[in-house]
Amino acid sequence: MNYTLSLRVLLFSIIFFPLLTFGQQVKGTVIDGASNQPLPGANVIIKGTSTGANTDFDGNFTINVENFPATLVISSLGFETQEVVLTEVRDVNVTLKESATSLDEVVISGLASTVKRTNAANSVASVSAADLAGVTPPQTLDGALAGKFTGALISSNSGAPGGGVSVKLRGITSINGNSQPLYIIDGVYIDNSSVSSGGLNSVSGAASGGNPSSQDNATNRIADINPDDIENIEILKGASASAIYGSRGAAGVIIITTKKGKSGKTVLSFSQSFGFNQAINLQGQRNWTAELAESQYGEGALYTAALNNGTLRDYEKEVYGEKGFISNTNVSMSGGSDKTTFYVGLSRNEEEGIVKRTGYDKTSIRLNADHRFTDNIKLAITTNYINSSADRGFFNNDNTGTTLGVALTNTRPWDYLLPDANGNYPDHPNNSSNPLQTRDLMTNNEATKRFITGGTLDVNLYRGENSDLKFVAKAGADHYTLTGTVIFPKELQFMRPDQGGVNGITAVSNTTNTNANYSAFLVHNYQTANDLNFTTQAGVTNEQFSQNVVRVISSDLIASETNVDQSANQTVNQYRLKQEDFGFYVQESINYQDKLIGTLGVRGDKSTNNGDINELFYYPKASLAANLHNFGFWGDDSKINRFKPRIAYGEAGTFAAFGSLYTLYGSSSNDGNVGITAPIIRGNSSITPERQGELELGFDAGFFDNIVSLEFTYYKKTVEDLLLQSNIEPSTGFSTEWVNAGTLENRGIEIGINVAAFESDDFQWNSGVSWYKNTSEMTELNVPTFNLGGFGNSLGQFQIEEGKSVTQIVGTTGPDTPVSVLGDAEPDFQMSFNNRFVYKDFTLSFLWHWKKGGDNINLTKLLSDFGGTSADYDDFTVDPEGLINNGTYRIENGIFAQNARPFVEDASYLRLREVGLYYIVPSKSVEKWFKGAVANIKVGFSGNNLVNIFDYNSYDPEVSNFGGNGLSTGVEVTPFPSSKRYMFHLSAQF
Amino acid sequence: MKISRKFYIIILTISIVMFTSCELEGGESLNGASTTSISDDLSRGELPQAISGVLSDMRGRLNTQIDVQSILGREYYYFTSSDPRFEGDVVTGNLDNNTFYTTAPWGSRYAAIKDVNLALTGLENTTSDFSEEEIASARGLLNTLKAHELLMVANNQYTNGIRVDTSDPDNLGPFVGYDEALTTIIDLLSSASIDIAFAGDLELPDLFPLSSGFDDLRKTEPVTDELLPITAADLLEFNKALAARVELYRGNYSNVLTLLNDSFMDLTGNLGKGVYHTFSLSGSDFANPLFLALNQESNVRVAHSSFIDDALPLDSRVGKVVLRESPVEASGLVGEYDVWIYQSNVDNLPIIRNEELVLLYAEANILINPAESVVAINIVRNAANLDNYTGALTPAALENEILFQRRYSLFGEGHRWVDMRRFGRLNELPNDRAGDSVPEAVPVPANENQ
Repeated sequence: MNYTLSLRVLLFSIIFFPLLTFGQQVKGTVIDGASNQPLPGANVIIKGTSTGANTDFDGNFTINVENFPATLVISSLGFETQEVVLTEVRDVNVTLKESATSLDEVVISGLASTVKRTNAANSVASVSAADLAGVTPPQTLDGALAGKFTGALISSNSGAPGGGVSVKLRGITSINGNSQPLYIIDGVYIDNSSVSSGGLNSVSGAASGGNPSSQDNATNRIADINPDDIENIEILKGASASAIYGSRGAAGVIIITTKKGKSGKTVLSFSQSFGFNQAINLQGQRNWTAELAESQYGEGALYTAALNNGTLRDYEKEVYGEKGFISNTNVSMSGGSDKTTFYVGLSRNEEEGIVKRTGYDKTSIRLNADHRFTDNIKLAITTNYINSSADRGFFNNDNTGTTLGVALTNTRPWDYLLPDANGNYPDHPNNSSNPLQTRDLMTNNEATKRFITGGTLDVNLYRGENSDLKFVAKAGADHYTLTGTVIFPKELQFMRPDQGGVNGITAVSNTTNTNANYSAFLVHNYQTANDLNFTTQAGVTNEQFSQNVVRVISSDLIASETNVDQSANQTVNQYRLKQEDFGFYVQESINYQDKLIGTLGVRGDKSTNNGDINELFYYPKASLAANLHNFGFWGDDSKINRFKPRIAYGEAGTFAAFGSLYTLYGSSSNDGNVGITAPIIRGNSSITPERQGELELGFDAGFFDNIVSLEFTYYKKTVEDLLLQSNIEPSTGFSTEWVNAGTLENRGIEIGINVAAFESDDFQWNSGVSWYKNTSEMTELNVPTFNLGGFGNSLGQFQIEEGKSVTQIVGTTGPDTPVSVLGDAEPDFQMSFNNRFVYKDFTLSFLWHWKKGGDNINLTKLLSDFGGTSADYDDFTVDPEGLINNGTYRIENGIFAQNARPFVEDASYLRLREVGLYYIVPSKSVEKWFKGAVANIKVGFSGNNLVNIFDYNSYDPEVSNFGGNGLSTGVEVTPFPSSKRYMFHLSAQF
Repeated sequence: MKISRKFYIIILTISIVMFTSCELEGGESLNGASTTSISDDLSRGELPQAISGVLSDMRGRLNTQIDVQSILGREYYYFTSSDPRFEGDVVTGNLDNNTFYTTAPWGSRYAAIKDVNLALTGLENTTSDFSEEEIASARGLLNTLKAHELLMVANNQYTNGIRVDTSDPDNLGPFVGYDEALTTIIDLLSSASIDIAFAGDLELPDLFPLSSGFDDLRKTEPVTDELLPITAADLLEFNKALAARVELYRGNYSNVLTLLNDSFMDLTGNLGKGVYHTFSLSGSDFANPLFLALNQESNVRVAHSSFIDDALPLDSRVGKVVLRESPVEASGLVGEYDVWIYQSNVDNLPIIRNEELVLLYAEANILINPAESVVAINIVRNAANLDNYTGALTPAALENEILFQRRYSLFGEGHRWVDMRRFGRLNELPNDRAGDSVPEAVPVPANENQ
């Protein structure tokens, strides 16, 4: 680079800047080919320059053209780009065709740069607003991604309102470190923690010691984000792409861009959906008779009495059989001038659960504004305030018979549990809690108030003939307070002192979380005469994270008070996290005539979470894509019109969990004296981030003028220095210690085919099929084989073992047998099939998702066997010989015979994730009815998980007792059953 | 262009700030005291906390330990709807080496031992102005507690062995068999007794508060009858009591008698006198984990039917169980009586008490002085509302009688299984179902990599 020249150009441009903007005005209109409506917000650029304009609300634009002939490049996201050659000033009227292949969109390539998808060397998945929420409104953002792109295993932890979803990109990336992707929204690092509320485990005793436990299944906080605000999501699935996020990138990065305003007339959009949800797969009842009740419990007489009184009751239906009402209201406003545009989104979601007194309520307000100070200085601000509240009920594992799920396993139809006229509930004759009483009186609420804001400043420092220099600064903050309120009133059966209770528990858990991030970049573009294009970027980043969780749990409550001070005993615990990272990033991209596109980059990161806080860890990346079709090897009439082989390699890291550098005493008290007690986990002051290196190979191809497009990707990612919470000899006084000790490998294939199968004026059909699989292997383990994520060998658990699949499930198969492999949580493959039919004003879309294989550890049935209530107790499907009934077999030949085989089950499913049918009222009719006051009226029906096909012997194969992180997903202990949703929609623009 | 210039200044400022802020500071642990803060230098203020920590950790998973020992000794069954392995694995005797009933008691006892080891290292490295008596009393107490915890592990593991040297996590000592473990434990108790004796009449509350579970050791002012602060000499009686138990296990009967003499044994006193774990609901304290209300359904401890069947008429110790409103059944096991040793969730749980000491005295005297043995037996019998012993004075008869009294006196306190094993009589314990059996020892946890 010749910087003296550049400097001269800079000076020249500053002095003569006003002159340069003087040219001849060209006007035009851009029309949306699909709706024949004006297309606002389309980009119009003069090819080879950076002069550009956007269309206004009426699709109109004006642009200054200095020299003729000139070529206008007109593009808009989701449409095929068109070029128009101008030899003189004239009006330009262009109709953009909807693009089936989204080839024209840009995808992220560096921290401050994007690249056209056609030139990308990585398989970056993207999900548009239409894909995300266009078919049916999703409950949560992360849940709505399932089946919509390749390479991910996305699974709900339970059906509880308010979410709780595990997202794993390209296999398991960490065993004890974070394995959930990083979420970035408009440049802001978003916190996605799950914070367990205090008080639940004090009652359930799921994990010993009264600590908050992961078995309460808290919501992960990405659920706060309103899917309706989202314009586009890009997913960096592995280190080859996510190296730009350095030591936070290894589990992948999900980059979300929210909607922006469009200049022109202010558009007010309104949409309203109503609907309901309903349990997918209730298990039903055992075929009770007086004889069976007598033989099982000696309660034949009670059965007969209840039968004669008409008080036999299906308690599963009583608890899980509700239809929860759903309402989503969304109002958005978009508009602005040439200089300033804004987008305002206001949405309110209310959803009741399938269990009474559970539900989810969310209000989100968004204001995004963009302002152009001058042609060269642009500021974009995004702000979002969210207020959400989830009533989650009381589910999953317990050791006290108190969760609704466990209580139901002991509840027989003749048990009378209904309250009397004064609201007094009878004690459960066969269990320590009455599930109807628990449901009606206990509270488990998570309420969030969250504010997310970000700003991006873009400054064109100078623009020249063939080079320009841009400065990009970003800042963002994500702040929330989460209040977990847990109340178990003293009236509850298990709270009464005569039943061994503690006379009521109330708990408040307050979490304050603040993330802040800053970055500044310089981006330089330089183009040589023969279309060799260099993009150089360099910059620094700084991220700060802090979290403070204070839980107060009190017992022995005064009267019916619920304040934590209105009690005899209080327990307090606090957890704090504080981390600051600093990094730099440098990247050079070279594009040779859109034929060869190469990129080299490196990120350096240091963090207060490392042993040496000022040691830099380097994460390099390199990639190359070749657009063979641009070389002219084959003619324009070839059936293959696009073929791009690509290769990319990158490295990224995962931080050790906060605090793993230290061995810290716990505190406890004994008879009023405070004591310090050795912790379970031994820290390690030399722990380092684990490092993932990913090699990705593949090609993108287009056939028959892009009617058919194909994407094929193979990847191999190796995670070294694995962060393991390795077992240590328990006689040390610790049970685990943090070590970097092992290597795992994920290999996989992702294939996506999109077909614009049919296209005419009246009828269009687009279809997409994708197929993907992943296999993992523990290639090296420097600590002894260890188990995690289950309840022991006689019930099945995960085992980390060198040379074996990382997700293998092992267990014993009889007394004194060695453990053997009984299954694997990794699916054999996944496949999704989505279709969109447009016939005149009707649109029908649906998405099928097939997960083949992958096993769960299902303990729900075993618990109901012990209660004698399993619906399939008297069937003969579990015993391989078919001789012993299921209930007896699971108990006698299963757990008591130390045989875990009956509990490891295939969790395959085929489900109709989404289906939607919409009708757009013809614009002529709308015009006639409303005289222009209303436009774009759309009505429709949609549904979520309406068809679910699986053999799995419980409510839903998508389930996790231990929440979303790490390996231990897929263990089931009496969860909140999942539901399907039926919705009706109406939307219009004003 | 004016706006642009302002922006150049802003850019310049941002760049400078970003580049100069690249040195990181901080990196704190935040959420607790580092263990090295104790082991590197234990201060006067930290000593009470370290000792309370040990006492607190000694209660960890005691329920699992005592439940397993009581089920193996066929004293009671524990049925819980949420974990069937108490009626499965533990009763059938198919104990897995990687399941909580094996690993939790082991890990919890060694966690308390870790607390002791850290505090002992801290005492060695301390720079505080402790007197030699103060250090000796703290060290003596810590080693006594450590010996107790090692004994708890050894009783479970028996011939499978335990580790006795665990102070360096990176270099653990070898596994030793039961006999060698008992030798180490008695040596530890005896060196602790020398330390405690050295401290003499040192009043401990000034140095570290002990829980009210030690109150029975306190003496009263002879004149005013006022309860005096606990002293090192009082602690010595606890140390000797534990040592007597260990020596009895080792068969050194004359040592047992000497030790009992120096212990808090009181042949005429309250049999409940002893040292206890305490519980409360306040703050981060624990509730008594062995308490369950009567007539529960999904979570019950029910006496083995033989406890009622074999009881002598009028034995008041049968009051440790209460007839249920309706029997409870689980997987073919039936219970008609709820265990009712602890009647609230803050009841104390014994570490060692006079009733056991009296029975130790009886047992140690079987060969040495059978008549004295019967005196002790009668103390226990009379306390339970029973007439004097009228059986033979042969060792075999006395052994039977003492085992019988221990069974009822120490019901549900983790002794029965160990006692029957001591006399090679595990095969006499009842098995209610075809596949049930009583194992001799709990396996060594898989993670010990033995």
